[in-house]
Amino acid sequence: MYRTLVLAGLAGMIAGPALAAGGSCSTAPKSQFKPKATLETQLTSEGLTVRQIKVENGCYEVYAVDKAGKKVNLAYNAETLEKLDNAEAGEN
Amino acid sequence: MPKPAKTDRGVSAPADAQPSPEMVRVWDRVVRSFHWALALSFAIAWFTSYSSEGIHHWAGYAAAALVTMRLLWGVLGTPYARFSQFVRDPATVLRYLSAMLSGREARYIGHNPAGGAMVIVLITVMGSTALTGWLMTTDAYFGVAWVEATHSLAAHGLLLLVFFHISGVALASFRHRENLVRAMITGRKRKAEPADIG
Repeated sequence: MYRTLVLAGLAGMIAGPALAAGGSCSTAPKSQFKPKATLETQLTSEGLTVRQIKVENGCYEVYAVDKAGKKVNLAYNAETLEKLDNAEAGEN
Repeated sequence: MPKPAKTDRGVSAPADAQPSPEMVRVWDRVVRSFHWALALSFAIAWFTSYSSEGIHHWAGYAAAALVTMRLLWGVLGTPYARFSQFVRDPATVLRYLSAMLSGREARYIGHNPAGGAMVIVLITVMGSTALTGWLMTTDAYFGVAWVEATHSLAAHGLLLLVFFHISGVALASFRHRENLVRAMITGRKRKAEPADIG
């Protein structure tokens, strides 16, 4: 009983942030990912200058600067290119 | 002066039987605090590099502040804290390293030439790690690949250097029969014997 509660608590602590954050990384194999170039083109058209796109698990993490030269950190589901709320989503 | 007359008590206290060798103060409080605080900052930064960004950043700022403080103290500090006391030319360092290999290196009260060189290298690499880490958070260098690569290389290099540093401390402690880790806690070392270098 006690152990079940502890395990449930731990599971909640791990899953909680992932569930709370909007969107999630892809779980599909890399062959299903949309090309980085597609995302870069889209972001460039939105006025961002992309410095780097990293693959982090099923996410693309974008390092860019906006028109004012301010840094912008974003994460996208690599399969759907859906934007996620948490830029660090792929790191966990 | 006549020796004190021996008593007939037979047993003397253990402390009298083996008088502790006379100790001298070497590392001042700033040097010791700096050393352990920097070690702690590096350990914290290492273990938070992929998990806790906030803590990682503060560990880096702490390391940068500590290095800056140590650089000033290396000029203004107590005698054994000063760079001029322990930084030697590369030829002297190489001679000392080769003496270590053949097991006939002299004991120094301050840093030995190899240890002094290690201090400089560690401070330089720690400073570079903190600087490139901070650059990664600026608008100008955010997401720039070479800055990230340099930060990672410096951090991994630092870990390797720490292993060499600990090995050197262990070897010197063994060779000269003293506990250099304790010396960095208490600040005291056994006073110089005739063959030692003050």
